[in-house]
Amino acid sequence: MNPKEPWFKIREGLNVRRVTFLTACSFLLPLALWCLVSYVPFIWHPDVRLEVSADRADVSTVYIAGDHVSKEFFGTFQEAIRNGNKTILQDRANGNETGGLMARRDNQKKLRQLAGLAIANGWLRSNQREDDSAIFEIWKGIATGALIPKAPPLNAENLPIVRQNWQMLSSVSQSFDVRKLPEQPLLNLIPQGQPSNPSYLPAPHEVLLTGWHNFTNGDPLGQLSLFDRLLISIRIVWGGFLLSCLVGVPIGVLAGIYSVFSKLLEPFTDFFRYMPAPAFSTLLVAAFGADDAPKISLVFIGTFFQMVLVISKTTRQLDHSLLEAAQTLGARPRQLFSHVVIPGILPDLYNDLRILLGWSWTWLVIAELIGVKTGLTEFIETQGRWRNFDAVFPVIILIGVIGFFTDQFLAWFRGVLFPYTRTSRTKSKIQKKPGPPPRMRQATASTEAPVTELTPT
Amino acid sequence: MTQIELPDYRLQSPEVTARFDRLKSRPIVLEAKNLGKTFSSPQGEVIALEDINFAVHRREFLCVIGASGCGKSTLIRILAGLETPSEGEVLIDHKRVTGPGPERGMVFQAYTLFPWLTVRGNVMFGLKMTGHSPSVSESEARQWIAMVGLSKFENAYPHQLSGGMKQRVAIARALANQPRVLLMDEPFGALDAQTRCQMQSYLLQIWRNVDVTIVFITHDLEEAIYLADRILVLEAHPGRVEELIEVPVPRPRTSEQFISPEFLAAKQRLEELIHPPGQTAADKLPTLRLTQAGDDVE
Repeated sequence: MNPKEPWFKIREGLNVRRVTFLTACSFLLPLALWCLVSYVPFIWHPDVRLEVSADRADVSTVYIAGDHVSKEFFGTFQEAIRNGNKTILQDRANGNETGGLMARRDNQKKLRQLAGLAIANGWLRSNQREDDSAIFEIWKGIATGALIPKAPPLNAENLPIVRQNWQMLSSVSQSFDVRKLPEQPLLNLIPQGQPSNPSYLPAPHEVLLTGWHNFTNGDPLGQLSLFDRLLISIRIVWGGFLLSCLVGVPIGVLAGIYSVFSKLLEPFTDFFRYMPAPAFSTLLVAAFGADDAPKISLVFIGTFFQMVLVISKTTRQLDHSLLEAAQTLGARPRQLFSHVVIPGILPDLYNDLRILLGWSWTWLVIAELIGVKTGLTEFIETQGRWRNFDAVFPVIILIGVIGFFTDQFLAWFRGVLFPYTRTSRTKSKIQKKPGPPPRMRQATASTEAPVTELTPT
Repeated sequence: MTQIELPDYRLQSPEVTARFDRLKSRPIVLEAKNLGKTFSSPQGEVIALEDINFAVHRREFLCVIGASGCGKSTLIRILAGLETPSEGEVLIDHKRVTGPGPERGMVFQAYTLFPWLTVRGNVMFGLKMTGHSPSVSESEARQWIAMVGLSKFENAYPHQLSGGMKQRVAIARALANQPRVLLMDEPFGALDAQTRCQMQSYLLQIWRNVDVTIVFITHDLEEAIYLADRILVLEAHPGRVEELIEVPVPRPRTSEQFISPEFLAAKQRLEELIHPPGQTAADKLPTLRLTQAGDDVE
């Protein structure tokens, strides 16, 4: 193709290479945008993700490592802890420290301020957040230089604090013992963290890793694996959809053929489809219980009424002259139905059902929320509430991917089922030979149309 | 301009007269008696056809011609049984027509092939509908496909065929039922001029070889003269039989006859009937000049 061919031409096609390129871009651009926002620190990043956190005196809200706080708050947070440390140091210098059991318990908490950092550096497992003996060893390691935190590092402000605290700790005991913690308050670590986006926009690699982890290692909820949940969701979508087909296709076709059915059924259907399906959720739970039945019936309600109207319209669009032609060929009404109407509408019917299946998928999440939450939606709901959006995104994307590829497959399969609908006109059309000039009428007739005597004249 | 002296269109050579005598001695296959059709519209009743009477003999080729909107299509749809007449009746072999049936095959302008069936499937359709076994239908269909010269395309789908080929399939499909009458509603109207000429000679060829009576609707004067034994000229508003012309051109027809005196005489008569002088469309336009004086086109 000519490389100078313009890209923008009103209602003109593009060549195959450009189409492939643009299709790829259509997926890569949003991904690139997501990466840009996630990985370029000066774009957006309104939050700080805490690596080290501390408790403020007299404030009940507790932040731990991994939490997101806004940048403005982060500053005041740090300042508050620094001021707290100053007070501790002043008291210590003046010799009027408030010691005792309270301080000892606070000190135990202060030791745990390093837990998040230790987990991130791979020195602790994520369930060792309160394993004080292990944490004690890490304090020792960092203070003596045996352990050097790298990912993330401990900042220059916190390293002296660790050493100072370790002096106090090691003067009492070299290993962890609740009763052998100092009775004078230790210093708090100053909160440190990295600029980050809000928790509802996790970075691509986090989504990928968490998604991979959840699919291969089972569910963090500990009940069903994501694959099982997917099967449950597919069962609900297809259950509702197939039930809808079972009733909706015959009714739609009948309404498309006979005015009696059309006028009897369509006005009510038209009215009913304006009532949003989710509005029936409590009713459905009351009628069908809390398990799968109300969910499947919600998908059914959301799909069925559209289906009847769409299919009756498709049936009516069948070229009327085909019916007339069949009649002049001797087809009786029943044969018209089985040999003309049905094969005539099948390709369009197939397409309608493909689109309606997509419609059914959109009802999935609402359907799974009613009664007992199940399937992928339960996972999305629970993880979302815990703000584990890096676990939520893979599931949402999964639903999209399944829908997309099902649709692509069905679209391709249509060409297999109905080969005569392939519209590659230029390729398949048999090239017509230029006809002979009008003067050669008689000659053409005798050479091309063989003379077959069928009846005696 | 020199005026060519044309014979009277009613003058027939002895051979042609003899042929018409033979034709008229054959039994009547299709008969229209006092046919009338009235459509009711919001503006009142519209008379599409009024008092149509004619009879078609066995193996006759009758063309129906008329200005657009004269009710040609309504007439053929009534003959096919796709519409019921408001008055009168259609008789086929002296039996009254009540609806569409396989003894009256029809070819439409818009092809109307079944897109989901191959060429063979389309031609077999009528045979299957009328209760023939699949094997009989298939061998019969093959024969008819061969007859229209499409054996190579037996397994092709309609969308793969050109317009002319589609119409040949439609003809084969209608003929496969061995109808008494083949009704053709402007069948070549959508084809380009060259294909149309080809199709006309195909049709004559097929008609010669098959025992079938043809009623052919057209608005093309030359097509009517080239094909028909007799031409039924319809008058518009309301649609009435204006004249039933016996075409004086001898058979077998060839394209050389297009400039024969008989052909031109018949054409002149049709022109008179369908495009009466003084009523040509151009005269109805207002005379609005946008050209400069002295800049006239000849």
